[in-house]
Amino acid sequence: MSAGSEVVQLPHAEESHVAQPHGDQGMNTALLGMMLFIGSEVMFFAGLFAAYFNARAAADQWPPAGLEDVVHLNPIVIIATVILIISSFTMQWGVWRIRKGDRTGLNRAVGVTLLLGIVFLAMQAYDYFLLVSEESFGINSGIYGTLFYTLTGFHGAHVFGGVIGLLVVFGRGIAGQFSARHHIAVEAVSAYWHFVDVVWIALFIVLYILH
Amino acid sequence: MATTTLAPRARPYTSTRARAYEWLTTTDHKKIGVMYMASAFLFFLIGGVYALLIRAELAVPGIQFLEFETYNQLFTLHGTVMIFLFVMPMWTGLANYIVPLQVGAADMAFPRINALSYWMIPVAGLMLFSGYAFGGAANAGWTGYAPLSVRENIGIDLWVGSLVLLGTSSILGAINFIATIFKMRAPGLTLMRMPLFVWNTLVTSVLLLFAVPVLTAGFVMLFIDRNYGGGFFDPALGGNPILWQHIFWFFGHPEVYILILPAFGVVSEILPVFSRKPLFGYKAFVFATASIGALGFSVWAHHMFATGAVYLPFFSFFTFLIAVPTGIKFFNWLATMWGGQLRLSTPMLFAIGFIALFLIGGLDGAFLAVVPFDFHVHDTYWVVSHIHYVLVAGAVFGIFAALYYWWPKITGRMLDERLGKVQWVLLFVGTNVAFFPQHILGLDGMIRRIIDYAPNPGWTELNFLSTIGAFMVGISMLPFMWNVFITQRKPATAGDDPWDANTLEWATTSPPPTYNFEALPPVRSERPLFDLKYGAVEPHAAAVPAARGESHEETRADAPEEFLGEPVEGHEDPDVPGARTTPQVSEHAPDATPREERPKREGGDPAPPTEGRS
Amino acid sequence: MAVLLVGLLTLIAGCAPAGAEGQAFPGFFAPPAASAEGQAIDSLYFYVFLIAVAVFLTVEGLLLWIVFRYRRRPRVDGLPPQTHGHNLLEIVWTAIPAAIVTMLFVATIDTLAFVEELDPKPQGVIIDVVGFQWQWTFNYPEEGLSFTGAGAEGPVMAVPVGERVRIRLEATDVIHSFYVPMFRYKLDVVPGRVNEFDIVVEEPGTYTGQCAEFCGLLHAEMYFTVEAMSRADYDAWVTEQQQQPEPTPGGSPPPDAATVEVTSVGVVEGYEPSELSVPADTPWLVDLTNSDQFAPHDFAIRGGNPDGSDWQGDPNADPGQQVIYEPPPLAAGQYEFYCSLHPNMVGTLRVGE
Ligand code: HEA
Ligand code: HEA
Ligand code: CUA
Ligand SMILES: [Cu+2]
Repeated sequence: MSAGSEVVQLPHAEESHVAQPHGDQGMNTALLGMMLFIGSEVMFFAGLFAAYFNARAAADQWPPAGLEDVVHLNPIVIIATVILIISSFTMQWGVWRIRKGDRTGLNRAVGVTLLLGIVFLAMQAYDYFLLVSEESFGINSGIYGTLFYTLTGFHGAHVFGGVIGLLVVFGRGIAGQFSARHHIAVEAVSAYWHFVDVVWIALFIVLYILH
Repeated sequence: MATTTLAPRARPYTSTRARAYEWLTTTDHKKIGVMYMASAFLFFLIGGVYALLIRAELAVPGIQFLEFETYNQLFTLHGTVMIFLFVMPMWTGLANYIVPLQVGAADMAFPRINALSYWMIPVAGLMLFSGYAFGGAANAGWTGYAPLSVRENIGIDLWVGSLVLLGTSSILGAINFIATIFKMRAPGLTLMRMPLFVWNTLVTSVLLLFAVPVLTAGFVMLFIDRNYGGGFFDPALGGNPILWQHIFWFFGHPEVYILILPAFGVVSEILPVFSRKPLFGYKAFVFATASIGALGFSVWAHHMFATGAVYLPFFSFFTFLIAVPTGIKFFNWLATMWGGQLRLSTPMLFAIGFIALFLIGGLDGAFLAVVPFDFHVHDTYWVVSHIHYVLVAGAVFGIFAALYYWWPKITGRMLDERLGKVQWVLLFVGTNVAFFPQHILGLDGMIRRIIDYAPNPGWTELNFLSTIGAFMVGISMLPFMWNVFITQRKPATAGDDPWDANTLEWATTSPPPTYNFEALPPVRSERPLFDLKYGAVEPHAAAVPAARGESHEETRADAPEEFLGEPVEGHEDPDVPGARTTPQVSEHAPDATPREERPKREGGDPAPPTEGRS
Repeated sequence: MAVLLVGLLTLIAGCAPAGAEGQAFPGFFAPPAASAEGQAIDSLYFYVFLIAVAVFLTVEGLLLWIVFRYRRRPRVDGLPPQTHGHNLLEIVWTAIPAAIVTMLFVATIDTLAFVEELDPKPQGVIIDVVGFQWQWTFNYPEEGLSFTGAGAEGPVMAVPVGERVRIRLEATDVIHSFYVPMFRYKLDVVPGRVNEFDIVVEEPGTYTGQCAEFCGLLHAEMYFTVEAMSRADYDAWVTEQQQQPEPTPGGSPPPDAATVEVTSVGVVEGYEPSELSVPADTPWLVDLTNSDQFAPHDFAIRGGNPDGSDWQGDPNADPGQQVIYEPPPLAAGQYEFYCSLHPNMVGTLRVGE
């Protein structure tokens, strides 16, 4: 207490509280952080979508002449979409398991989700490959190509980010670091994964159905 | 009288190396805040030297010592550096230091992410300037309009990279502030008791969170157009050059409020303290801040009136509308000072200077909302004048007000008042001499972003005057730097609360210990410290219930009315012994040491010094 | 502050020398605009100016008064009255600015409608303006005239006074802006988009115009001139211009002259190759291919004329065009060649080595 004797004690120190976060109220702080981050990601995609609708509104014909059929509903895309949607459910299943304290269930669910995510990325890469090699449709094929690859590419990059997050959760799950009370990372990655899924559904509708 | 010293440090520093290591790896919001501010000031000097080069070139007609290309890079980097590497990091740094203290928290919500956000700044700065090493820095203006920016040199790629990095840093910072403000407030500190600086930081963070990602999307498009043959902005490929402007200004207009709202917050902190009155119309301030933030998203195309591609009346209307909440702030500021006891110390002078001069910039802005008039002065020096009245007379004045105000808290030392006033006079006069004549140049048709102008009647004189003013502004930084230098060599004797202030940051030591607070006073109004010093706050009540935020209505109602117009009696109350001890008034406190205002102390009953309490 | 600003203004006005050519020293009120639309904008500006001055004086006046009246006096004890707010006042100072800006908005919309009015079927003169780095082309489609130019005056656009003139703007490379201060009007010149406006010039005279949107290297030099004249003068001008012979690109090269081929690739990229060699003291030719898809270029030689001045090739090579120039024979040595439109495009010319 040698230095402490010079410290001014505030009055009423006995009654008042030492600074501490209200961690027990409402949403967990880390989860709130993730939600805010997702909010900013929504704005990022909103910017890209705005570019899409801007170009589409200005064009006399959409898709532009000569490119009417390059981007169409094909089995690869449909299967990839189904896979991504299923992965959202498997992820949520994992969250429910760990809320009940079931670690094995969590690990299984996350493992499956991870696998589905990777398969989605592989299918997207294959789809790109076909588009470029068979249709010679690239990012420089006019505004349509630029938009298609930018939108789907940045979505893919986000899936990739989600896969990294899933890997971390998977590793920590295997190491038994989560419990019914402590699994914020699972909740956060799950929220992110659902967001990525929702963006894909929006993209799917805009690029494949409403075209 | 005994003044406070530092709380024991967690760990003594033995060597410079250990200390450097401590700073480089710190996650303490105060150290990070200081690093933010120091880097920002460095960038201010660089951006300022760029400005002086610009002004020197423009002092007289003809091309003096620069080349076209050099000049274009100069104003591009001047604008970019001042906005993204000076004002934004400066406010982030200040908020980093002050917001956790003002909400009574021990640190930010995510300390490591906070450190990450900071370290992106120097990297981004290096990236921006590295353009010079690769064949030319960015040269398309700070607004980087496509398609010009698609065609120009490699410096633009580095500019894009740098700004994406800074944007990411800002987004992470914004998340951190929002989480801190929502989750880490002290017991009793309800939303409607938060200091105005916290409110403004909150709204600023929300603006950042929603505006910056859109710009990032724009940068992605620009980068793809530049490097992968994309067609976003190329009409030949079906793209649209105007799209860039929509995206940039959808970010850009909220951005200008990101630059100014913290200054509004600072002024709203300083005026009550130096008028010795509460803020007039607290709720109106909160409402006005929020509506400025919200309206900020609906006016972006007022930068694009002359493109012929936007619906003019809509954007004109909402632009005008922003004058209303800003006006509410102005009049409430005036009412705060009205009837007070104004102590004209340096922070207060800067706050008053802010009001006086930002008004000019705001009115310039209202002119610009007059679409037909904007057709005339768009992209002329009228706009340059507007920019600098809101940014130099606004943001820079706000920043210096904040620095003078919080310097004793951050360093434990009071900046010298005389030098502060010298700086104030030079900056005040210099700003007007530099930027007022630009109105007239703009009206007379002198366009911006030109290295050379025609020797029309009056243009030489007005430009020369503007250059003189610019150098005055530059010189006004010398007394400040000297002030900082000599102050750091003095002992840290400022005390906890040299200004007799209201908010929680003044309830701890200067500088605060790593963990910020030994203990917190009860919070029952937006002026917890004032209540403690002057108010008839019962010491034993309400601390815990208020913690859950249930009783704020009741306390807001009781605290004020009780001593409306009455001399302070609280000190005699034997039930409040602590009320006398807290205001630690340093010998260095400027014009007013609150001590002499207290009848009690003059009565020869000096407050019991600290021993009694430790 | 008000005092200071007024002082500053009088200072500005006071030290003003009578401007050259009888033009006044600029102030807050420029000489009357030359176009009908500009005059409408001027009167709107005057109205806004008065309101701004009133707001300015009110706020600064209050501020000054408060600071003097309520600055802290030495012997004041206790706290001042702790007022927290006043709802009626809040309403007042919300309502008054709201009313003012509504008035301003109405006036704005009113003038805007006049300024932006477009004749659905333009009857009078139509001028197509093409902006490109860093010049203007003025095309008169009806009259079959076309002018291109750069430099301190730039090309001249003649318009008749008192008539509605349609101006259509288009850019080939980046965004420019067509701005004539005396018309108080500018409109951006955007690639991939035609912007148009009508203007009625009231006063005959010569008006300087300039590109107002930053467009790269020589943005500062992108001038043009508008000559407003009576209908009769205008008709005479058109006839005169129509009788001028069209400049023919290139001449037939003299046989067996040495020819160097060079390509102008772009404003940033410059020439390809950037080093040329030719024999000394013999006639020679430059075969310039302009592969730039946006900007025209030409070929000039620093100190290339016998009198030491710069030799400059004429005409310009438009995008995709090929032009043959015939520079004078040069003495042995090393020269610099450049594009007179884009002086940053330079190369080295070695003569006789
Ligand atoms: C801190 C930065 C900041 C701030 C706060 C503002 C505030 C405002 N700005 Fe400004 N602006 C910029 C920074 C800022 N601006 C920059 C950097 C540019 C140029 C970008 C570029 O091209 O490089 C720009 C450009 C710009 C333009 C485009 C000009 C052009 O390029 O043609 C316009 C047009 O409407 C505009 C309007 C406004 C308005 C209406 C406000 C309002 O918020 C002002 C409101 C305040 C008041 C009006 C004063 C107080 C009010 C009262 C006392 C009440 C009574 C008043 C009335 C009844 C009028 N600004
Ligand atoms: C926060 C933002 C900010 C700040 C603080 C400033 C500060 C200054 N600005 Fe800046 N400015 C912008 C933002 C800002 N500017 C923006 C966004 C643009 C538009 C860019 C674009 O068109 O793309 C712009 C453009 C701009 C132009 C127009 C250029 C053009 O269009 O061609 C001019 C010209 O006068 C100018 C001048 C100044 C001056 C004199 C200062 C002064 O306040 C600077 C003060 C000087 C210093 C701080 C120097 C530091 C002091 C020392 C090193 C001590 C030594 C002193 C001496 C040797 C005297 N600025
Ligand atoms: Cu063309 Cu500026
Ligand atoms: Cu704006």
